[in-house]
Amino acid sequence: MGNLIWHEYARLLAVTSSVCEWSYSNDGLLSLRRADTIWASFWGFYYRKFFWDFVGGIVRAPGGLQPSKANAVFITLIVKAPVIQILAMLLAFVILALELPIPQIKGTMIHRNFVIRIPLLLLQAFLTILFYQGTNAALWSMITAACYGRAVVLGETMKEAKDNRGKGGRA
Amino acid sequence: MGESWFRREFLTPRRLAFNVIFYGIHFALFAYGWYSQETNTKLAALNGLKWSVWTSRGAGLVLAFDGGMILVPMLRNVIRVVRPKLQWLFPADENIWFHRQVAYSMAFWAMVHTTAHYVNFFNVERTQVRPEIALDIHYTQAGGITGHFMLLIMFLMYSTAHHKIRQQCFEAFWYTHHLAFFFMIGLYTHATGCFVRDSAEPAYSKVFPFYTTDHCLGYESWRFTIWPGILYFGERVWREIRARQATRLSKVLVHPSGAMELRIIKPSFKYVAGQWLFIQVPEISKLQWHPFTITSAPEDPYVSVHIRQVGDWTHALGERLGAGPQVVAAMTKAAMNGTEKDEKLTMLGATRGDFVEIEGGAGAQALPTVRIDGPYGAPAEDVFNVEVAVLIGAGIGVTPFASILKHIWYRQKRGNLGSLRRVEFFWVCRDAPSFGWFQSLLQEVEAAQADPNFLRINIYLTQKISEDMLWNIAVNDAGAEYDPLTLLRTRTMFGRPDWKSIYGRMKQAIETGQYLPGTNSQLKTKVGTYFCGPGVLAKAIKEATVESSSSAVEFSFAKEHF
Repeated sequence: MGNLIWHEYARLLAVTSSVCEWSYSNDGLLSLRRADTIWASFWGFYYRKFFWDFVGGIVRAPGGLQPSKANAVFITLIVKAPVIQILAMLLAFVILALELPIPQIKGTMIHRNFVIRIPLLLLQAFLTILFYQGTNAALWSMITAACYGRAVVLGETMKEAKDNRGKGGRA
Repeated sequence: MGESWFRREFLTPRRLAFNVIFYGIHFALFAYGWYSQETNTKLAALNGLKWSVWTSRGAGLVLAFDGGMILVPMLRNVIRVVRPKLQWLFPADENIWFHRQVAYSMAFWAMVHTTAHYVNFFNVERTQVRPEIALDIHYTQAGGITGHFMLLIMFLMYSTAHHKIRQQCFEAFWYTHHLAFFFMIGLYTHATGCFVRDSAEPAYSKVFPFYTTDHCLGYESWRFTIWPGILYFGERVWREIRARQATRLSKVLVHPSGAMELRIIKPSFKYVAGQWLFIQVPEISKLQWHPFTITSAPEDPYVSVHIRQVGDWTHALGERLGAGPQVVAAMTKAAMNGTEKDEKLTMLGATRGDFVEIEGGAGAQALPTVRIDGPYGAPAEDVFNVEVAVLIGAGIGVTPFASILKHIWYRQKRGNLGSLRRVEFFWVCRDAPSFGWFQSLLQEVEAAQADPNFLRINIYLTQKISEDMLWNIAVNDAGAEYDPLTLLRTRTMFGRPDWKSIYGRMKQAIETGQYLPGTNSQLKTKVGTYFCGPGVLAKAIKEATVESSSSAVEFSFAKEHF
């Protein structure tokens, strides 16, 4: 008692921020409490907007912000085709697969390695901050990455799961 | 486990009622919020945004409700006052559970609300129904700023409130949860700036609340939701004031088992048996309050709590009081060695392993200042309203019963037992010797019993017994007046209790009139069970009580929470 196990905390954050990237959802994901990235990217498919389009953009009424030509590449990847959103969503699923471990990787080196999660989360933060719905997910992913960083610095390791746990009364 | 989700949520009448009412209110508010926005002709311009604006308004109204309700279960002092009157209406001891239900619902509706707003602002920018871009609304206006801020706070608060994190590091949960202060500020100011209006620009005024309701057409929900917030804030202030009232730590008793008994004198502190309090030792932490069960009876001239050294804070407290782990280890050893000698002395009335007293001002450093806050309610106050009280403590969960048993004993002496006719006390624990202090208390209570049928003590030891111990018990137990393990007259039983047969037999005995002599079988006998311990056991006992209830005997069940 008394000592926060950072990686376990970070895991909860990671689950939340990945599902919650403002753009994807289905019933299963909802149960994960608004995991953000997936939800965000999902909505990013329908309401496509480059988050930074105000830089150099002009407002037209009606019509809204007209991004500047300098941002054309982002407009192509986010508005014309939701490439960034798709990538963010895929990445979020990868992170979820790591955190809620899918049976195939449970207990493997990848699952037990915290260092590998930090670049994944930072990449998720980078991708999500590019599109309109992803800002919260980006912020949360960065917080999560920082928590994992803390876990690595403290040299935490993942505890061996006990097989006989959670079988109350039958064990 | 083993019970299906459907069965638990819908086939239990009370839970079903809760679900219908609670979620019914949510959906009704959502529907009303949606409808009132969609049909408001003054807001025709905004209604051009279609379903997203209807959804956001509906979900917003629901969130206002949740934001108002989230603090209600945390009004501990108010609950303590109203619970005797309203116990029949809602389970006042399930306040944390209710707090969690509101929080879950809040998370869900926050998602709906935020999602809808992301779509709203996207379309506001596109259609320019107001001359602003999405980014302005998100990050320069009150609604957007407070909204994002509240989401971040929720992200931190919900994740640290996870039961795993709470157990690992209560401090992380405790401190993070105080972000609630900023969350509530965010909630009350979320719709400032005349966010819902029929004009393109906000209509402000110079007098409070600085907007005119002619053009600002929000639900003004803050006018309602702020009251629980004010109440809660007032309660926290009051708790602080109360905690500063004269309190003195008069004595510390260290028991051989390692438990420290703090005897505190605070004249302004009034409580009932079975309640608990928060304790703070400013020398160890100025901010942390730790909950403990009161182990003294209201009749005692002091308030006592028994503290085992298990965590950071309790260890620090032990060190500070001069009862560090070494001291305790030495004492425990001495007590264990002394066991055999003691048994010979039992006849003379000696108890196993005496406690060591640490008193203030006796040469060593003075005792630290302590503050206590409370008391807070627990269901065991109700024991005197039933004819038969079944008190079940498991492991450390036995602590509230120290106070209750003492209190019952005091009242018995005064001949003032209410409707209480018999007490069955069950203590289920893995290793009895580690709760030495409780044994000595039980001894006192047992020895003082004039009527052998009033209080029956049943002790169940669930640990595995070594062969040596088995022989020891077999040899010492035969014909001895006292039980070799607990030094009580009552025999210790081994293994787990079979609740169904215990309750079944009790029911039979009551129905045939053997249990309570002179009971008229036309009257319904009330048997109240008060349990404190792990949830799995609670469930098993509850099932047994439900199964055993009949037309003549009514078994009720209450569980204490920490």
